[in-house]
Amino acid sequence: MLEELYEPFALPFVQRGLLEVLALSVGAGLVGTWVVLRGLAFYSHAVGTAAFPGVVLAGGLGFAAPLGALASAVVFAGGLERLSRGRRSGYDSLTALVLVGMMALGVILASDVFFSGSDVDTLLFGSLLLIGRDDVSFAAAASVVTFFASYLFGRVWLATGFDPAAARSLGLRSAVPDAVLLLLIALVGAAALFAVGAILVTTLLVVPAATARLFTRRLLPWQIASIALVVAEGAPGLWLSVATNAPPGATIAMLAGGVFALCLVVRLLTGGGLPR
Amino acid sequence: MLSAKDNTLDGDGPLAEVSGLSAGYGTRSVLSDVGFRVEPGTRVGVLGPNGGGKTTLFKVLLGELAPATGSVAVRGRCGYVPQTERSRLDYPVSALDVALMGTLGRIPWWRRPGRGERRVALEALQKVGLRDLANERFGELSGGERQRVLVARALVQDAGLLLLDEPFSGLDAPSSERLMSLLELLADEGRGLMIATHDVGQARSWDLVLCLNGRQVAFGRSAETLTRPVVEATYGAQIVVVERERGDPERLSAILPPHHHNEGT
Amino acid sequence: MWDAAYPAVAFSNGIWRAIVDPWTEGIMQRALAEVALLGVVGGALGCWIVFYELSYSAESLAHAMFPGLVMAVLLGVPLLLGAGVGVAVAALAIAVFGRAPRIGKDTSVAVVISALFGLGVVLAFSPESPSGLQHLLFGDVLGVSNLDLWTAAGLAAVVLVALRLLHGQLLAVGFDRESARSLGGRPGLADVALLVLVALATVVAVQGLGNLLVVAVLVGPAATARLLSRRMVPMMALAALLAVLAGIVGLYLSYYAGTAAGASVAGTMVLSYLLALAADAIQKRAGGGRAIGFRGRGVVSGAYTFSSRSSGDGEDA
Repeated sequence: MLEELYEPFALPFVQRGLLEVLALSVGAGLVGTWVVLRGLAFYSHAVGTAAFPGVVLAGGLGFAAPLGALASAVVFAGGLERLSRGRRSGYDSLTALVLVGMMALGVILASDVFFSGSDVDTLLFGSLLLIGRDDVSFAAAASVVTFFASYLFGRVWLATGFDPAAARSLGLRSAVPDAVLLLLIALVGAAALFAVGAILVTTLLVVPAATARLFTRRLLPWQIASIALVVAEGAPGLWLSVATNAPPGATIAMLAGGVFALCLVVRLLTGGGLPR
Repeated sequence: MLSAKDNTLDGDGPLAEVSGLSAGYGTRSVLSDVGFRVEPGTRVGVLGPNGGGKTTLFKVLLGELAPATGSVAVRGRCGYVPQTERSRLDYPVSALDVALMGTLGRIPWWRRPGRGERRVALEALQKVGLRDLANERFGELSGGERQRVLVARALVQDAGLLLLDEPFSGLDAPSSERLMSLLELLADEGRGLMIATHDVGQARSWDLVLCLNGRQVAFGRSAETLTRPVVEATYGAQIVVVERERGDPERLSAILPPHHHNEGT
Repeated sequence: MWDAAYPAVAFSNGIWRAIVDPWTEGIMQRALAEVALLGVVGGALGCWIVFYELSYSAESLAHAMFPGLVMAVLLGVPLLLGAGVGVAVAALAIAVFGRAPRIGKDTSVAVVISALFGLGVVLAFSPESPSGLQHLLFGDVLGVSNLDLWTAAGLAAVVLVALRLLHGQLLAVGFDRESARSLGGRPGLADVALLVLVALATVVAVQGLGNLLVVAVLVGPAATARLLSRRMVPMMALAALLAVLAGIVGLYLSYYAGTAAGASVAGTMVLSYLLALAADAIQKRAGGGRAIGFRGRGVVSGAYTFSSRSSGDGEDA
């Protein structure tokens, strides 16, 4: 019986999937804490999804997929910044529209230009067969960059997150660090695409960090717990993916959501009351 | 627990009568010990620091917040005129549309405002001097004009008592003047006005003044009540004296406590 | 004389054929009807979505409904039922998860969405499911049946009638939520009504655009119309018109260029918005009067999802 449990992990592509999850863990866990702290969940979902057309393009034109993903995500972030400048309201409708526009672009590229329509599902929800060595290296690189960026900019991000007005009055210029944060999310989102798919990057970038946050307020324990959760949810999620023949992004998403729900119940029961 | 809706006054007499009022949110008490009466035709300046309870008092009078203790009685409808600084300027509504919002409480929710309602709204705009701008987009009007449209909206509600929340903030001198004379006109017509303001000099020109700082510091005729000790008790240490009236060290002309203009950002 | 005229006649004949040809087929006729329906509903309701700043919620709702839709297909029950159950479950989950301490509302919504969407995908990939996942995701406007059209028409009618009846409430609450109650407005009612209407509109539009693209019609035409309108009712009419036009253009693209129909329609809607944005920016730069006054704030500060009201500097707008 135990042997059956381990069976999937003997498969090479599953092992690569595990490697990918491990490589992503630091990046996704760390970025996740910043995303939750700064309320950037929608943005991270959007930028992950926006990486999709880039991968289609890369596949069609024959250059490295991670590059396509990253370029697409950065174009999205940059375009959004450019378009939202000079607008007082309508930021969220702009985000939603640019997002769906890129999605439509990706679909058209895939089904009608490059005829890679069958790839669409795997790109959107992940696929163990999708992960190549390039992608694992990309994920590892993203994690390393995240680690250093977190180290360099963490204090500014923290201060700006809690009280933008006060931070400004203290002389903290947050424009560059904020841009770095948004780019970092784009980077990790693009990397996560290969594990969980473009639409479900939040399942690694947001859900583990949100879950960990239920139990701790202090940054370092929170960051460590988030990283651990990414692995703890990613690995079994991969197993589930093999077992149910469903895309890994979807199984990890269900698992992560379930864990969150469980933790929430525990927290509400032990924390006593619902202080919102 | 009494609510404003339980006690209504009718006939002639005061537009609002409050005694022993205290109110707050959850366990936090924001206002205590408040008692006053507003007769028709009076303008009451409501002074106090931010967080001192002005908005809370307005909410109680509007019936949106139930008092913790004490009694509140209001005759007829209460019209609320919020700060236009916080208005949505990008909204696709004309001045007339905004004024027409005042009819919301008077017609069944599924009916659209008809000719009669339009007439009332146009008359209200006429009264505030903005009939010609009825079809202009609300967001394109100046600050003073927007404030007056909001007053028109309260008039359409047929409110006897108007509650104005810092209507002068952000207005330039000519707009302030226009608004002041409009308020005078409305009071002369028999309405009661409670105007939250930070400008002591302004409050002095009105009939009554109510000073709140978590509790009621003072209530009475403005001339007698606005002494230095009262103002200091109301604003605490936040007073910045700008100008003294010549020859009378006890009478302060204008006091501008430092308050955050853009609280929402 | 006829010889000289002949090429011109042939040319105009050709143009006429190009315009008319697609609509001779039943498939395309039904697609046109579907696009018209989802355009009118999406355009009109979209104006409220834009002003209540519900774009994120609309997208989340569409995603959250996904497992309900998949279940409906698996069980063979009407999509509407699946959508209803899906929305109810999602709303409940959001209400519960939203109580999570220390994380913002947006974060908890993201958690619910990813979990539900994941569930939907797992269901869709299960052995029993017919391979129609792509259609649920990206729409199947060319596969619309007459029954689908009648259902959509019914739902559309409900939405439009509701918008008419609720207009006053929606306008007052959206304009100034805090004062609305003192005017006789019911913010709670407005919120719930909008939620229900967005769910209904999504069911109408998901047929043609699919779960992932539906937000294009719910936000695009309205956002475009907003740049061009001064009052709400004309804006709703304009948005509906723009949506239907974009839909028609998208169908032409699909017919002649062979591109995926749903994506073409969605793409056209987004493109027209971007074009309108560009035109608006150019017009402002040229100093041509007052565009609907916007002020500067990049994505950096805009990305904060707590609602920050702009400072009142409309004086010199």
